[in-house]
Amino acid sequence: MQHFALTIIGRDRPGIVSQVTEILYQLGFNIADSSCSILGGQFSMILIISNPKISSKEDFADAFSPLEESNLSVFIRTLKPGGEKRPELEGDLCMISVYGADKPGIVYQVAKVLGERQINITDLNTKLIGADKRPVYVMMIEAMLPEGIEIETVEEWMAELKKELQVDISVRSLVTMEL
Amino acid sequence: MAVKEVLLYPDPRLKEVCAPIDNFDDSVSELLQDLVDTMIDAGHSVGVAAPQIGDIRRAVVVDVSHSKLGKKQKNHGLLQMVNPEIIEKKGDQVVREGCMSVPDYTGNVNRAEQIVIQFLDQNGDLQVKRAEGFEAIAIQHELDHLDGYLFLDRVSSLKTDLFRRKQK
Repeated sequence: MQHFALTIIGRDRPGIVSQVTEILYQLGFNIADSSCSILGGQFSMILIISNPKISSKEDFADAFSPLEESNLSVFIRTLKPGGEKRPELEGDLCMISVYGADKPGIVYQVAKVLGERQINITDLNTKLIGADKRPVYVMMIEAMLPEGIEIETVEEWMAELKKELQVDISVRSLVTMEL
Repeated sequence: MAVKEVLLYPDPRLKEVCAPIDNFDDSVSELLQDLVDTMIDAGHSVGVAAPQIGDIRRAVVVDVSHSKLGKKQKNHGLLQMVNPEIIEKKGDQVVREGCMSVPDYTGNVNRAEQIVIQFLDQNGDLQVKRAEGFEAIAIQHELDHLDGYLFLDRVSSLKTDLFRRKQK
């Protein structure tokens, strides 16, 4: 079945989710994975959707025009076959907390270290907190460490960045208790 | 004895309140052995509750001594528990849990840090034990199964919770 990724974003207000899902429901779409959250003053929705009767984005794109009219931006991505399936990631999850005085490049520098070593980031959140005059940047990264890469190794990589960026970084294993 | 199939939600037996065991007969010993066998067969998971193998009686087994995290902490090894009851709880910890009956999903759950648990052991003798850390979490998770609770009913926060709370 053809899957699509649907992204919707707009000024937060009550009723966005119901407005979006009513359209999906009436068209007969299934919502598989989704994640919706407030970022800044914007509500953003990302959904993986499918419909056994719909194989092309042209078949349903028009249905979202009422959303555009109410100031929501809508983007549809057509997934390649299998693109709806999460790849099996082997390894142990870890959490990396990065925080400090706001400055350019925090996300990039940390992500670069991980990316260069083929470490997969599975979740990332950033937020600007603190007083207007002394903004503090907070970033939480959840990453999958492949076999052979230990928390201590990541700590070593981060130690250099800490000095370079003048931020605090801590790494810990994120143990999921399989019960 | 026998390795049993671990039931997956939405099997309705996972949402039942299990019945107390009044007669400690052979069927109870069999059930405990099945639970142990099933736990070991599942890559030595740290616990199995009776409803997970389709028996809705109040029995669970827990053994954290073989898990990567559990063996580093104080623990009681294999615990076979009939009619278990938590009689004291202390502290609070958030832990990310997953469950064999709800594959592919994990969630952050609030659990007590230390518990005192009362139960009948495999010989039918009354035991009272204090557990903490990983073992305490495992026991609380398995006991929830006896009341038809899944960790999904206990999820306390989304991953982004940290940020939400900071917002005024």
